[in-house]
Amino acid sequence: MFMHNLKYSIKTLFRNKMLIFWTFAFPIILGTFFNMAFSNIENSEKLEIIDIAIVNNEEFKNNEIFKETFKTLSDEKNQDRLFNTQYVTEKQAKELLENDEISGYLILEEKPKIIVTTSGINETILKSVTEEIIQISEIVKSLAESEIKKEIMAGNYNIDYEKMYKEIIEKNQKEEAKIENISNKNLSYTMIEYYTLIAMTCLYGGILGMVAINQNLANMSNNGKRISVAPTSKGKVVFSSIIASYITQIIGLSLLFLYTIFVLKVDYGTNLPLVILLGMVGSFAGLSMGLAIGTVLKTNEGIKTGILISITMLGCFLSGMMGITMKYIIDKNVPIVNKLNPASMITDGLYSLYYYDTLDRYFFNITSLLIFAFIMIYISIFSLRRQKYDSI
Amino acid sequence: MTVFRAFLKVLNKCKVPIIMYTVMLIFFGGFNMQTSENSTNFIASKPDILIINQDKEEGITENLINYIKGKSKIIEIENNEEAINDALFYRDVNYIIYIPENYREDFLSGKEPEIKIKSTGDYQSSLAEMMLERYIKLANIYQKNLYSEQEIISKINEILAKETEIQITSKLDTNNLKKATFYYNFTNYSILAGCVYVICLILSSFKEERIAKRTIISSMNYKKYNRHLLLSNSLFAIVLWFFYVVLSFILVGNVMFTEHGIIYIVNSFVFTICAVTIAILIGNLANNKNAINGIVNVIALGSSFLCGAFVPMEWLPDTVLKIAHILPSYYFISSNEIITQLEVVNFESIKPILFNIGIILIFTIIFVLINNIVSKKKRKIA
Repeated sequence: MFMHNLKYSIKTLFRNKMLIFWTFAFPIILGTFFNMAFSNIENSEKLEIIDIAIVNNEEFKNNEIFKETFKTLSDEKNQDRLFNTQYVTEKQAKELLENDEISGYLILEEKPKIIVTTSGINETILKSVTEEIIQISEIVKSLAESEIKKEIMAGNYNIDYEKMYKEIIEKNQKEEAKIENISNKNLSYTMIEYYTLIAMTCLYGGILGMVAINQNLANMSNNGKRISVAPTSKGKVVFSSIIASYITQIIGLSLLFLYTIFVLKVDYGTNLPLVILLGMVGSFAGLSMGLAIGTVLKTNEGIKTGILISITMLGCFLSGMMGITMKYIIDKNVPIVNKLNPASMITDGLYSLYYYDTLDRYFFNITSLLIFAFIMIYISIFSLRRQKYDSI
Repeated sequence: MTVFRAFLKVLNKCKVPIIMYTVMLIFFGGFNMQTSENSTNFIASKPDILIINQDKEEGITENLINYIKGKSKIIEIENNEEAINDALFYRDVNYIIYIPENYREDFLSGKEPEIKIKSTGDYQSSLAEMMLERYIKLANIYQKNLYSEQEIISKINEILAKETEIQITSKLDTNNLKKATFYYNFTNYSILAGCVYVICLILSSFKEERIAKRTIISSMNYKKYNRHLLLSNSLFAIVLWFFYVVLSFILVGNVMFTEHGIIYIVNSFVFTICAVTIAILIGNLANNKNAINGIVNVIALGSSFLCGAFVPMEWLPDTVLKIAHILPSYYFISSNEIITQLEVVNFESIKPILFNIGIILIFTIIFVLINNIVSKKKRKIA
């Protein structure tokens, strides 16, 4: 009986086209959209080489520090290249700015002046670099002054100014700030989108569980009526239906995993067995939620599905599917919400595997998911057992 | 009237999804709309920085902290490594500076103590790093030239106070225009999803076999029937569009009362008409009521993601944008983007927008033609 019902439950689930669309195809389609939209975001947030222009007037030509610095910063061979500089006349610079071909231009008159169209990061960097050059010239000036004073004090009036300036500038350039970057390498926050996708698929699996269990409920389907009066162990039938939907769910989830790993190149961290474990526990939690809603509520299948989808989408929304910062805002301000939200437990579990080296947070999420699942299972058992119908 | 009344009845049934699309529009539209003053002065970008000071806040250390504070937005996060790491991952901070213990003493004794940082690696953090590097280099130079701590600090501050003049040429209210563009880009999803969902559901309700048979044998002329249905659908779409336009006046404000606002409105109107034709075409193609939900999501989400309704166009990969050219949403959204950059409104400057509107209209005609072919074929089978 067990195997018989298992086989036919799987068959009916796979024949339900709408169900298979939402649990199998939809996450993959959504993942593809995410990939198209988000694959470039992080690259575009990196500092790009900024197009600028410098008015090539006499002042600029005579100013060694400005000329040299911009030359180095615009050098194609320089790893820290910041600018793509064009040396033009003022009229040309204005034109370039109007046509949006440059972020801004620099003009050296009595004082250096920058002309831009709007405020922004590129403009700020141009301003910042110009200021740095002004400041360096100031330092060189003041250092030179004190150097000259020293020489004169020492009675040396025969000073090679040019050599001294060069030395000071060189000294300045050699100065390095000792900064060590200790941030984690895995900082790609768009990964959260794909993790919420996994969470969504796990929880959507609840619909499969609900549909499968509805087959066995006398108040839900004719099939259920027949099963209720049949002289078989209800436990076996229910259990095999649940196993059938779990298997279906795992197949769907594996497809999504394979697709995200091999086609979309999603990074789940290095610990694959733990990712699989999380997927299985997450699906189990989704399934148990589907069972609880399927058994506790006494309405038709459409409304139950609607409720399940709403809960899942709300959970995914809170764990960052429609805007990654949402998860952080909730985590930071009302942590209890995401500690109770199964979608967030799955997302956060995957995130902790990706971002953190330690596993405490991961196992905390796994435990939370299991507790959630067992509460749901308990509710389902409680409302499933000893059901009697006087009339249907 | 009969057709219209039936139309309203079905419409009443789909109010929940329409409200949902609208709530999303308000939520995400409003999310990006913190009011900011229109400024024609230059405002330097300020990275979000967190400073973890393990040294005493005195002397050179204090001065460093004050310097960073002045040039950035300081973020307060509880001093807990996990919270800090989370904040960095979710870009709550761009740059974290750990000032080591005994920084001041080590610095003054010429040891050049190392500062540890965490960085998101984006442009904000690059700017933060430039600031920090500049300070440390400056401090090192003065330290080597043997000044007292007080002297070093005052020298550093004197030098760092030297700023350059910066001038803004554009008088455009870019901030508010960007908001309007964001809002209207998002309407791409709301209008498309709303129209396709409602119109498909209504068409499929009218196409249900028993109802279709009843209308066919009724005395009503089928041309009149079709016309009423089309009018009702268009009326619905126009009401939806009008509602979103009114909403934009509330959410975006001032900008909408300018010439730019009119272009946004006209552009979205043309797109709404195109959305209606798309919806009618899909409604005629789809036979299954249950399938509508899936189709709506794939079409509305797909074209919104591909064409830059959610993620700004400039951040999309080139290949995606190339594919997006086959969708009308692309032309709608790129017109919105052009409006943001529009300095003056005259025939010459709005030419690209008119071109885009023309293409949307061509799409509309194509959809109508395909729809005629499809419905003709379907009638033959029946």
